[in-house]
Amino acid sequence: MKRRGRGIACMWYPIGFTVSANPSAATVKINEDGTATVLTGTVETGQGSLTVLGQIAAEALGVAADDVHVVSADTDATPMDSGAIASRTTYVTGNAVRLAAEQARAILFEIAAPVLGVRPDQLDARDRKIEVRGYPQRSMAIGEVAYRAQVVMGQPAIGAASWNPPTVALDPETGQGKPFSTYVYATQIAEVDVDDETGEVEVLRIVAAHDCGTPINPMLVEGQVEGGISMGVGFALHEQILFDDAGRQVNPNLTNYIVPTSLDMPEIEVDIVPNFDPSGPFGAKGVGEPTSVPTAAAILNAICDAVGVRITTLPATPDKVLAAIQEKRGQAVPRLPAA
Amino acid sequence: MPGKKKVAEKQRQRPLETPRIADEVARLPAVVPPVAYPIETLVPEARQQTPAVGQRAQRVDGRMHGLGQTQYIDDLAFPGMLHARIKRAGIASARIVRIDTSAAEAMPGVMAVLTGRDIPVNSFGPSLQDQPVLAAERVCHAGDGVAAVAAVTEQIAQDALDRVKVEYEPLPAVLDPLAAMREDAPKVHPAGNIYATKVIRKGDLERGFAESDRVFEGRYRTQMVEHAALEPHAAIAAWDPNGRVTVWCTIGRITLARADLARTLKIPMNRIRMIGTIVGGNFGGKNEITQEPVLALLSKKTGRPVKGVYTRGEEFTATTTRHPFIMDYRTGVTKDGRILARKVRLVLDGGAYCSWSETTLGKAAILAAGPYQIANVLVEAHVVYTNKTMTGAMRGFGAPQVCFAYESQMDEIAQALGLDPLEIRLRNAFVEGSLSPTGQVLHSVVVRESLLQAAQRFGWKGARS
Repeated sequence: MKRRGRGIACMWYPIGFTVSANPSAATVKINEDGTATVLTGTVETGQGSLTVLGQIAAEALGVAADDVHVVSADTDATPMDSGAIASRTTYVTGNAVRLAAEQARAILFEIAAPVLGVRPDQLDARDRKIEVRGYPQRSMAIGEVAYRAQVVMGQPAIGAASWNPPTVALDPETGQGKPFSTYVYATQIAEVDVDDETGEVEVLRIVAAHDCGTPINPMLVEGQVEGGISMGVGFALHEQILFDDAGRQVNPNLTNYIVPTSLDMPEIEVDIVPNFDPSGPFGAKGVGEPTSVPTAAAILNAICDAVGVRITTLPATPDKVLAAIQEKRGQAVPRLPAA
Repeated sequence: MPGKKKVAEKQRQRPLETPRIADEVARLPAVVPPVAYPIETLVPEARQQTPAVGQRAQRVDGRMHGLGQTQYIDDLAFPGMLHARIKRAGIASARIVRIDTSAAEAMPGVMAVLTGRDIPVNSFGPSLQDQPVLAAERVCHAGDGVAAVAAVTEQIAQDALDRVKVEYEPLPAVLDPLAAMREDAPKVHPAGNIYATKVIRKGDLERGFAESDRVFEGRYRTQMVEHAALEPHAAIAAWDPNGRVTVWCTIGRITLARADLARTLKIPMNRIRMIGTIVGGNFGGKNEITQEPVLALLSKKTGRPVKGVYTRGEEFTATTTRHPFIMDYRTGVTKDGRILARKVRLVLDGGAYCSWSETTLGKAAILAAGPYQIANVLVEAHVVYTNKTMTGAMRGFGAPQVCFAYESQMDEIAQALGLDPLEIRLRNAFVEGSLSPTGQVLHSVVVRESLLQAAQRFGWKGARS
């Protein structure tokens, strides 16, 4: 008989490296027509980082995502980057891109200010215009300013910057210190069906409420959460590398090492928790890794809620769940007849 | 004169007209859809909107993925390119007595064979440089590479591996992390099996437990897991006549990779160009060099570009995995479910090499007590060598493991005290300005908000107890 249960798990997760420096650098070049090119040493590994970095540069320049092209990952051409690791790209590389874009923007402000009859610090970049703060009727198209900067005044609008999260080393005896600049928080709630005759677990639904600071691109945040949950489901229920007595892997293939497929995926509902972190680019933190952190815990708590057994060793495979149910009910575990 | 140029081009390529051309053609993507550009589609409006932040902007790489036109490493081919394969030890612990490559070298189509002795600096690693590029003297796990072959086709390279004869003297292996911690355990590396320890100490643990109404204890364990990215580890290295090497690779951090490559090849950094391609999944598994020094040296030896693509089997046995954890939790609480003290002991199975273990250990220790206000905390965490596949970075750096433990125990405590699982978490959760176990003042904290938001969305009405 299938028994339904639900389980909750929350978590915290840091952004960036533990204590050690993990800088990112970036270059932003504004073209004569007001579009821009970003150079970054990070690598797109499927998470959508190039899109997000483009949006961050666009925001700082007051243009749209399509107006920015991002060039990445060539040590001959792009600045250094500590890489697509530790959920740090939006936060650390994003800050570098924001700072570089602001530097390039400062050149535009300097060029536009005398034309608009104001000081550079009175200007804003918005809606593809350089405009006077508080008096938006007085403005110039960003393309016009960029053209003037490069072609008339001979001062091309280029910015380069780097950023590194501030940390404090941990005391080796007590571990006291500030290992990370910031953390994100999240809760996931899982609903499962457990078949108490076979031990099989079906994850029906997961509600995920994740903090990422300001979501630069909510669609990509949702994508990360869904992907993270799929890895969490595998970690909870299926995936396990097995070794023989000689230390060789028994199942090094995708036939016997079971990763979740679309058929194993639950209904996922993603909620982004409203937040703003002043240390991140436009309030953003990160979301990559945390999405797969609480999933297994929530599923295992749901299994316990459904059938009253607590599995303390992952993964919760059907044989393990069934044996625990039978032990709880005082039943002998039936043995398969010998072949 | 375009006609003359065409002839010259043809002559230049003639020496390369061997079966490998056909092989390369056969390896190109089977279906390249006939497409006339520009493709008329609706312009995704979000990408045109200002302000840019907060827009559901389509991914810049989405269209290429959708049309099957993204070029992954295995979609790239260069004239004269060779294919490399690496021979794996297949034995968990052994001394290498001798390696005989002569039969492999004599095979038609084999252009070069490489062993660990050919590598200028045969060690690497992000914190401890304890991993050889190719094992030369000692095999520490079954997935260790012992020799590499570059041949005109992948099949010839694969066949040549069988003709590389390696003589091993088997050594005792240790596979269980707890056994590896004992004094008399076989040593994976000479310095000893416990290779890193982290301690986090806050408040007065004994007093915290003394003041507690109830104390809960539990042991939780997690398994070894593979990243299972769709695209395997892949790279192409091309050494040019000026002594510069260009490497197209799937590594997620090319700055570090270039430093590692410069160190292992013993050449200046400005003679290395690393190009990160669009990667088909990383999840922490592609954060350091693997076969890149081997491919670079094979290219140097042969004067041709050399491609290496790991098999699915190598993805499991020869690259990093997620650390199995053994976690002992002892938690003291008041009758109304407030946590007063938590003691955690973590033992991480570190596999044969350090890789990102120190980072995983550190993050796991810092996060181990959970997102809760606890005045008295002691975390003691060790990572130990075993003769198994090396463990390294994987999405969460130890956080999914400790979260499984602390959140399982939270529910056990809630059940024993007759509290709703949501309620016990709300009572203990960090708030703005809370002190973390390392004494850090936390900001932009929204644990409670996330709990309440998820509970509302889910329609949480408490669990059975």
